[in-house]
Amino acid sequence: MGTRFDIVVIDQERLKSQEIWDDIVFELLRLNNIFNRFGSTSETSKINRQAIHEPVHISPEMCSILRSCKSYHTRTLGLFDITLDDFSKVFIDEKENTVIFLKEDISLDFGGYAKGYALLKIKDIIYQAGVKDCFIDFGNSSIMGIGHHPYGDAWKVSFENPYKQEIVLDEISLKNMALSVSGNTPSYTGHIIRPDSKGPVNGHKAISIIAENPLDAEILSTVFMIASDEEKKQIAENFTIQHIAEYSL
Amino acid sequence: MSKRTPKQVDTSLRQFIKDLGYISGGAALLATTPWLQSFTPDKAREIKNEKARIGFIGTGSRGQYNLHAVMAIPHAEIVALCDIYPPNLKEASAICPNAKTYTDYREMLESKNIDGVIISTPLYLHAPMTLDALAAGKHVYCEKAMALNMEQCKAIYDAYQKTDRVLYFCVQRMFDKKYIKGMQMIHDGVIGDIVGERCYWFRNHDWRRPLPSPELERQINWRLYRDYSAGLMTELASHQLEVCCWATQMVPESVVGTGDIVYWKDGREVYDSVNLIYHYSNGVKINYESLISNKFNGMEDQILGKKGTMNLATGIYYLEEEAGGKKSGIEQLIGQIGNKLYASVPAAGPSWRPETKENYTPHYILEGEFHVNDGQSMVAALKDGSDEILSAFCQACITGEKGKNIVEEAYLATMLCHLGNQAMEEQKQITFPEEYKIPYMKFS
Repeated sequence: MGTRFDIVVIDQERLKSQEIWDDIVFELLRLNNIFNRFGSTSETSKINRQAIHEPVHISPEMCSILRSCKSYHTRTLGLFDITLDDFSKVFIDEKENTVIFLKEDISLDFGGYAKGYALLKIKDIIYQAGVKDCFIDFGNSSIMGIGHHPYGDAWKVSFENPYKQEIVLDEISLKNMALSVSGNTPSYTGHIIRPDSKGPVNGHKAISIIAENPLDAEILSTVFMIASDEEKKQIAENFTIQHIAEYSL
Repeated sequence: MSKRTPKQVDTSLRQFIKDLGYISGGAALLATTPWLQSFTPDKAREIKNEKARIGFIGTGSRGQYNLHAVMAIPHAEIVALCDIYPPNLKEASAICPNAKTYTDYREMLESKNIDGVIISTPLYLHAPMTLDALAAGKHVYCEKAMALNMEQCKAIYDAYQKTDRVLYFCVQRMFDKKYIKGMQMIHDGVIGDIVGERCYWFRNHDWRRPLPSPELERQINWRLYRDYSAGLMTELASHQLEVCCWATQMVPESVVGTGDIVYWKDGREVYDSVNLIYHYSNGVKINYESLISNKFNGMEDQILGKKGTMNLATGIYYLEEEAGGKKSGIEQLIGQIGNKLYASVPAAGPSWRPETKENYTPHYILEGEFHVNDGQSMVAALKDGSDEILSAFCQACITGEKGKNIVEEAYLATMLCHLGNQAMEEQKQITFPEEYKIPYMKFS
């Protein structure tokens, strides 16, 4: 997924922590082999290569991922779109477990989805291992605070202005909550695109979303970068969101 | 031109040694730099009332630079000047009117009034002149590189084994405070095990001198022709390869490389672009690059260690543990928990992107003022050790004491240059030939 993953697990013996870490690494590598559109062997690459010509057989997991993407597409008024073009042209046959593109020149890009999906999976691993308190930082932009800091009642994170370092834009407390941040940085700008107009989001802006479901937070932080005020209001009604903030940088 | 400025007085070897003692604790330093052992303040006092009688062979730009430097040395006296090019001889004679002038160096070597000669001539003349001067019983200081080819280098080395005369080559980095102190730090483990070496020298200049008349092309622009010069390797790389071996205390066993004339297609015969990889037996490599049609990167002798990086030419080192400037959010969180603190973690923000290069904190090898060679001058750089090595030579002309390691270092550096040229010319990996190995060299 092209980024770094950090986790702090509290109150676990060393061996148990190592097992949890190994399980997480295994899961991340497995997911990378599903989502990585730059690696020729991933399932996403296979679909992108072949689904233009014929229905491509997909794994049950990919089928459920695509169904979930379709649902997010609807609930975000079409603004969440893994084709960055026209998701309605992706035809999923749930009976046959196949997918086909009904338009040339489209492809799947799980960039705004994969980290949130991975955090859902990691949350399962953590809970199953009996961990009560932990802090996860997935590439700075996707954060999850489970339980609380050993010397506090939650996990506190702060968010610096990427254009003016040392200026803190916000401080957020997380207790069994996920935080996702989207925005432009000085070195990485114009990477968020509105699927209908194809226009990149320029300008100095960032969005933070706190939600219990890390995938909801992940998707909405990007969607809110491109949504109009009216769209934001409508979309927010379709989700359970703890907090939304918008920053001009 | 001949009056001494305060700057020139400061270049005396005595002050140099005093400074070195100050920066690094004297005795320990001298143990690791044996070529400086003869130049303690006590030794300087012994020769206080004596003067070395010096003759100059070659009075062009570098020769005149040396002339000024030697004039500032209290224990030296310039008695003779020789050049085949009248304008240069005339200029030198104006600087030093009391010195006798010659146009044939052999004639000058016959003079009984000369203790030592300083040779600043094109590379192809180094071997014949050095060998003739030693045979004439003179102490010899010759500019780098040692000689035009491997046979000549070996001939000089062999002659040096048999003579009781002093022989110096201008390996001035061995007398440059930044390098001496930096090497001491490297050998003390400041940057950990050496894992790689990167040296480069970039200029954006055609390497030509203006010609008074076209038939003088080869005489004036000798650097560009293979019968007179070995190009970028001997003129520039020789200094840097010497530094690499000094740091690793080993000699590379083989080299590969490619050389081309990329930009200055003006009839020259030597490459204007060279890229080489020298390989040590332990797998460490020297990556060498020189290009004279772009000067963005300047010049650097960079020693890469597991724990840090030493940029010797600029006198700055960096430590790996300080990379990245501030600590990551997660490191700060772990620190907080260790200190039983509950504070916010500066973790959140737009997605983390892979860094192409992290920020490092610079540390200076020497405290206070020191000089950095920007690598752009074709003649000399200020305070790069050239003055000190000349002073050391003049002292040796009085005491007759041979300079430890100097000929050996010059020999190995020049041999590496020629092996590099051979690798580029033949387009194959060249192994250090057995017949050119000397006992001084360690290959593993």
